[in-house]
Amino acid sequence: MTGGGRGHGRGGDGSCGCGPGEGGCGSAAPAAAGEAAAGAGAAGAVVARCTALMQDLRLGSVRAWKERTGGLAVGYMPVYVPREVLHAQGVLPVGIAGGGEMEIIRGDAYYQSYICHIPRSTVELGLDGSLDCLDGMLFPAICDVIRNLSGMWKMLFPGKLVRYMDVPQDFDPSMGGVFWRHEIRSLAEDLAARGARPLEDGALRDSIRAYNANRRRIRDLMELRRREPWKVPTHELYVVLRAGLVLPVEEHTALLDEYREAALADPDRRPLDQARVVVTGSFCEQPPLGLIKTLERAGCYIVDDDFVQVHRWLKGDVREDGDPVENLVRAFLEDSIAHPTRWIDRDRKGEELVARVRESRAEGVLFCAASFCDPALLDQPMIVAAVERAGIPWTGFKFSENTGQFQVIREQAGTFADSIKLWTGAQA
Amino acid sequence: MSGADMITAGIDVGSSAVKVAVMRTDGRGGEEMLSGRCERMRRRDALEVARAVFEEALAESGAGRGEIGYVATTGEGEGVDFRTGHFYGMTTHARGGLFLEPEARAVIDIGALHTRALLMDGRAKVLGYRMTSQCASGSGQFLENITRYLGVTLEEIGPLSLAADDPEKCSSICAVLAETDVINMVSRGIPVPNILKGIHQSMAGRYYRLIAGAGARGVVLVTGGPAADVGLVRALQEEAAANRSPVEIRSHPRSVLAGAIGAALWGAFRARRLAEKGLALSGAGGA
Repeated sequence: MTGGGRGHGRGGDGSCGCGPGEGGCGSAAPAAAGEAAAGAGAAGAVVARCTALMQDLRLGSVRAWKERTGGLAVGYMPVYVPREVLHAQGVLPVGIAGGGEMEIIRGDAYYQSYICHIPRSTVELGLDGSLDCLDGMLFPAICDVIRNLSGMWKMLFPGKLVRYMDVPQDFDPSMGGVFWRHEIRSLAEDLAARGARPLEDGALRDSIRAYNANRRRIRDLMELRRREPWKVPTHELYVVLRAGLVLPVEEHTALLDEYREAALADPDRRPLDQARVVVTGSFCEQPPLGLIKTLERAGCYIVDDDFVQVHRWLKGDVREDGDPVENLVRAFLEDSIAHPTRWIDRDRKGEELVARVRESRAEGVLFCAASFCDPALLDQPMIVAAVERAGIPWTGFKFSENTGQFQVIREQAGTFADSIKLWTGAQA
Repeated sequence: MSGADMITAGIDVGSSAVKVAVMRTDGRGGEEMLSGRCERMRRRDALEVARAVFEEALAESGAGRGEIGYVATTGEGEGVDFRTGHFYGMTTHARGGLFLEPEARAVIDIGALHTRALLMDGRAKVLGYRMTSQCASGSGQFLENITRYLGVTLEEIGPLSLAADDPEKCSSICAVLAETDVINMVSRGIPVPNILKGIHQSMAGRYYRLIAGAGARGVVLVTGGPAADVGLVRALQEEAAANRSPVEIRSHPRSVLAGAIGAALWGAFRARRLAEKGLALSGAGGA
């Protein structure tokens, strides 16, 4: 079914024996017992708390934080914003990752049918009052659709702070660096004008420290997952990371510690014979939790992914001494991940993914992009080419954040996992 | 390791029954079935049935739990908490089909809700497939519904169908609408054997199209529960003959266990491969 480097596209003709065929109407399979075991105990309690935070589209925890502190809360679309700046000014950064499976009533009127789902649900959340606790929204440069959404937001919510965060695509400090420094300063001034504390170097250094600590914990968890994926199943790690979109960073760091300790102490987490895969392409619109569970139940250990990527956009620590704004600028220019929303020479696209596959000892790649996600899908052919050059098996499918039926994906991922386990290294 | 005997178990959790096979392999092509069981779900919890049937099959095989080198699940068996690994149904039916019928290069797997024809090579590598669409038309569940309407048992329908002398053409194989069809036939006084044969012919036509569409040639093994229905298998053979097809339809008394057998055999393959890499999994068979 799969020879090294041979891809398995989405076609339903069944010719390769790995395609989805026509079949399947069921939703996710019944909960796997391994999953139930993993969901029990202290780790299960942390995961349940995080899941509740993720599913609370009205942002109850943010409202409570505002009541408690009187501070501003500013939303941002996924991918990257310099959260340290908001934190240093006493503002709670709140990641808005769409509406999941919520029913879209008004959001559809704003976008054509060939546009992805996240802007519709974000508009819906704005119009139904779910986001009224936010004092502003930041729209990082992800794609034209999100740029368009920032314009709509300005018109729909004229009293709120709305910024389109253009990011440098020239990584020379004397060009892109100057630009990004100006953007950061300008953002800080906008926040201060709304009542936030003025940006001060000391506070920003403290914030960088707080986010560095958070990123280190996440890197540790990622490393643990690469080493022993059964101890940190991705359907758990995903919701733990999602919780970090709405919690103050210090609380999230403590929660990461709590989860790691509980997961390591759980004796029921034992290894299964599963194929190790990297899931890539889902960095903005997030897949439904059921899809992640489906991939794992279908026989895949997800050992690396692009989910909730804001936590991992900067690969290492930001320097904690010296000029903190300059340190944030240099981190963005020099230590960001390779990403479809970031300029990369076309000849080098896919190199970092191949390196991630090697580093995580993955046996295959699942391209899992949101339907109509331009950045992911436009890059995919070039990344696939790199993956194929490296002899790495892959398959691909698309999703929408409100996808509710996973049977076809289950079959595709299941046959892909089988092909890796049984035929990798065999003669075609 | 590859030359040592190994005992593995396969658990096939289907929509209406759980099948378990315990196999012994020697890593040099020697494969032997130690025990095999099939238990209908009867509205019980599938995972509880799986555990119970596994225990029974294990006892029947004479193997101790500690001797099981790999517990492989297939079908809807991802939830079995003592599994070592899971394989997709198409993969396991190909392998089980090859074990039961070494000459087979295609399998028609008739499940309770879906039917699929798959092509394979001499190593049970799936080369292509065709599958029915989302509904349960013409599936094992459809046959079960028919037996309820006609007041016969599943075991009786095959011999009854073979006794037909004037099969009544069945206009629909929709699992939902068939009731009306069958009631009409009964009220028109059509004998049960002729009703059953007509239904079998309708199903066989559908299955044959899957087989032909997949491009099968040579021996095709029928797997899944309905493989034990001699009337259905005969109708499929007749359909192939009527189409001057290059396929030879065969069944096997253990066809219902093909998925479980295939899972156990692939489990043995994986256990050996992992052992060669020094990656033996702990907890295999730790039910």
